[in-house]
Amino acid sequence: MSLRRTNRAERKMNCMQVGRALQSYLDDEIDDLTARRIAAHLEDCRRCGMEADAYSELKRALTRRADRIDHEPMDRLRDFSRRLAAGDVPPEVGAENPGGA
Amino acid sequence: MTEPAPKNLAHEEAFALHVLPEVDVLYRVALSITHNPADAEDLVQDTLLRAYRSIGSFDGRHPRAWLLTILRHTEINRHRRQRPELMRDPDATMARQASTASTDRDPEDIVIGETFDAVVEEAFTALPDKFREVIELVDIDGLSYREAAEVLGIPEGTVMSRLHRARARIRRRLAVAGLAPRKGML
Repeated sequence: MSLRRTNRAERKMNCMQVGRALQSYLDDEIDDLTARRIAAHLEDCRRCGMEADAYSELKRALTRRADRIDHEPMDRLRDFSRRLAAGDVPPEVGAENPGGA
Repeated sequence: MTEPAPKNLAHEEAFALHVLPEVDVLYRVALSITHNPADAEDLVQDTLLRAYRSIGSFDGRHPRAWLLTILRHTEINRHRRQRPELMRDPDATMARQASTASTDRDPEDIVIGETFDAVVEEAFTALPDKFREVIELVDIDGLSYREAAEVLGIPEGTVMSRLHRARARIRRRLAVAGLAPRKGML
């Protein structure tokens, strides 16, 4: 009984509702129940499935831009933080009061 | 006073535990905010120093959100020092930046024979700053909507709507180039 009710709920979203929530779904920023309902809709609806594929590919292309970052400043900052974590603190910092942020 | 030895040890352990794993994200976010590697490095260094000073009062929950808050405040202070006029009216600044960013390019220009990534790149760089920055923070830097909202000092709903509209613009351009379904009937 409750299983049947759950299945019905999962099939209930229409294309317009899915369209409004699609990007949040692809960003994993949506509640579990809605995500399941959207996933169920995408399996059955070819056009919404294509739309989801287009946005997924678009998001992957944007994410690939992260690979272009120069890692040298990051390496220096990692070293700097490791020194702080080891207690190697610049004198002016050690002298200040905690809670400055 | 001569008391700090054990306290400093805990202080530094907490710093290593909560801050070290977030350094890469902090730099990526700083780069997205400043668009300049040297400024980004300075910003993160200042953020790390502030975090070091205040780690004693940090409760250990959501270190990334805590650090992003510090980073944002640090950036605001740096801006105040460098360009005071920019901080008086952030909306006007944003509008000004948006109008210069989208100068003479029509985002719906027809593009033929380009690769998917090239079209995405072109459409992305043609976006107004306020749209581009949310894409940078979420898609490129990997922040959640809430974390991006914290960095920008705007509501989470605004992050979501800007992000979705920004991607929709890029998606329309992909459709014009024949690299995505022509009609996003949604």
